[in-house]
Amino acid sequence: VKVMVDKEKCVGAGQCVLAADDVFDQNDDDGLVALLNANPPSDRLADVRHAAAVCPASAIAVED
Amino acid sequence: MGRFKHVTRPEHLMAESANNRYGRVMSIATERLQLPLARPNILELAPLYEVLRREAPIAPVTTPAGDPAWLVTRFEEVRLLLGDKRFGRSHPEPEKASRLSSAAVLDGPTGEYETEEADHARMRRLLTPAFSAKRMRMLSDHMERLVDGYLDQLVAEHDAAGVVDLHAGLAYPLPVAMICRLLGVPESDHELFSRLSERMADMTIGEEAHHAREEFFRYMVGLVETKRPQLGEDVISDLVRAQSEDPSFDYEQMVRLCVGLLFAGHETTVNRIGLGTLFLLTRREHWEALVADPDGHVGAVVEEVMRLGAPGDLGLLRYAHEDVAIAGVTIRRGDALVLSINAANRDTGVYSDAETFNPDRPERTHLGFGHGAHFCIGASLARTELRVVFSALARRLPELRLAKDLDSLEVRTTLTGGVSELPVTWRSA
Repeated sequence: VKVMVDKEKCVGAGQCVLAADDVFDQNDDDGLVALLNANPPSDRLADVRHAAAVCPASAIAVED
Repeated sequence: MGRFKHVTRPEHLMAESANNRYGRVMSIATERLQLPLARPNILELAPLYEVLRREAPIAPVTTPAGDPAWLVTRFEEVRLLLGDKRFGRSHPEPEKASRLSSAAVLDGPTGEYETEEADHARMRRLLTPAFSAKRMRMLSDHMERLVDGYLDQLVAEHDAAGVVDLHAGLAYPLPVAMICRLLGVPESDHELFSRLSERMADMTIGEEAHHAREEFFRYMVGLVETKRPQLGEDVISDLVRAQSEDPSFDYEQMVRLCVGLLFAGHETTVNRIGLGTLFLLTRREHWEALVADPDGHVGAVVEEVMRLGAPGDLGLLRYAHEDVAIAGVTIRRGDALVLSINAANRDTGVYSDAETFNPDRPERTHLGFGHGAHFCIGASLARTELRVVFSALARRLPELRLAKDLDSLEVRTTLTGGVSELPVTWRSA
């Protein structure tokens, strides 16, 4: 699984951290998305897809 | 304070002609519905929303203030429009803008039309780190200690009286204590700013709501200037520092933002705690499931409370910044939109058994915190508070039940809704 985040779009909602905190975090300084793991294992696909779906800024892209 | 008295039934619309679909659309469209749509009780919405979602997802309405607007009720359109930059909180000609209600919050256009996006981006940049998911999680131990203290006191009161008010004893003090700590506001002022918050959101007192907003503004100017010589590690101090260093950051804008945060930080979560408790205690099987395994269930309970809880009966206000054709209507530049989060979150096209409180449902998303650039900055704070509250209640008061009939509870007349009392008991009947 390949995950990409767009910091320009990110609004710092933290929804992705809630969905998959082993893949996403928020930076301490700006609160924007920090990718912890750009290639999570396939058993994390459902949660990562969910994170992309609930992102209020559509800032997350996921490829199988 | 008041109770829901009138119920609008969709039958008169549906009865016209089952075959004449377009006739029905016309009947809704030409009628220009008057908001708010009266609801049967505090947990349910007007049945007419279901008809609107199906027949006229973007319908012309008259706001409680008497002005024209578009009411958006279907999940897809509400979500789309919340994320669409052609709509904003400012208006090209503010003096001509439709107004939502006579309350003094979310009642009309805010911000400068020319600089709205840049101003909003700066605000998000300043506030986002302070409200991040990680920081809020770090506060949960502190919240747990606070909640344990409130519950100790309620238990003592209950021993003596047999019935206690969960609103005054838990739903209210926790969010107030947390937002005071985060913003750096003295908790001892809570009676003053709560009264002002309540009055500025009241839709039944006309100009008084605006006087309350002015008074709240003066209170905040006093607080800001008291803090200025000794700024600390809190959000208001951060904003004061940022404003003093940035000539394009207007003083009044900064103070308004502080007022908005203090208002939103307690008005909203207080109501969700109340509504969530009502849902759980009137759908007992979900309360029992939470009691059996608080840690395993509380996350889903919180999300379902955020989906189905519908404090206030209107929606989020936006203004079109250009002409937009969508869902069979043309929205003109300057038109007002009322995006009904309540209706979108009960869309039968998105949720199975949409009107039912069911934390075990398969659907995991909702618009309870909004969507797009204006997504609730306090979402992680609210979620953490709600998790702490509902798991503590389930652990410590498993026999909890309502001590008063749902329909006889006092409902607030504010834009943000909710109950003003929550009498409960856990004494064996």
